[in-house]
Amino acid sequence: MKKAICLISLAAILVAGCFAMNYSAKEVPIAYDGSGFSPAQLYADPKGYDLEDPDGVADLIVRTNLDRTMAANNVAAVVFDYRGFDTIGESFILLASIAGSYAILRSSKKRKEEHGDEA
Amino acid sequence: MKLKEGIKSKNTVVKCGADMILPFAIVFGLAVILFGTVSPGGGFQGGVIVASACILLYLGHGYGVTSKALDQEFLEVNEALGAIIYVLLAACGLFLGARFCQNVFFDNGSVGDLISAGTITFMSFAVGYKVLTGIGVLLLLMFGLLGGEDDDEEEAEE
Repeated sequence: MKKAICLISLAAILVAGCFAMNYSAKEVPIAYDGSGFSPAQLYADPKGYDLEDPDGVADLIVRTNLDRTMAANNVAAVVFDYRGFDTIGESFILLASIAGSYAILRSSKKRKEEHGDEA
Repeated sequence: MKLKEGIKSKNTVVKCGADMILPFAIVFGLAVILFGTVSPGGGFQGGVIVASACILLYLGHGYGVTSKALDQEFLEVNEALGAIIYVLLAACGLFLGARFCQNVFFDNGSVGDLISAGTITFMSFAVGYKVLTGIGVLLLLMFGLLGGEDDDEEEAEE
């Protein structure tokens, strides 16, 4: 019974993946390929940079960054403003990893002390 | 055992090298955190660079000095403080009638000034503080496993 359910779900995932691949191959979404974008020029002259070439999300960010955030570093603007909620999650992962390593390392230390008392 | 003895003897060259690089590592990391919004860098990267000072201290002086110089509980409390400051800065938008995490006071000064980016700069500081204390705690925990045996041996020898 379990094997049958597993096989059926795997087959469903396979069919859905094939359908999604077929669908996305027909209508290729507009993506940023990086051609015609010069970070050095943008850094040297942020206000007067020619904004015609970028496309997709990069186009949006490069166009609206200075009006929305006034940050000279676009990456910092993306990390702390456009994706600020994502950064909260990232920093809480650090907190969780420290809690986990605390649990593991403290138990090993305690075990060592117990062994030392026995010996 | 030979390797442990080599580490315990603390070569003079290693000690002097660690002492020499330590202040530069701290100052460079703090600069990366401070100027994260106007130059390449940011909170995470600068925090990790500052936390590398822990490794230099351990390499040069051993576990005893490191555990005395750095208060582990203080670092833990300050990591939580950094997280709370970040969340409060992100909630500024809610208090002022905008989205969560929205940049609410950014139009002060010209582009390239340190605080021209508003909350982005201060969020970067908060994340840098959180990362440098958090990585410091992690490194101290690992040094506890590495250096505990050495201390036991020293006490046994004494």
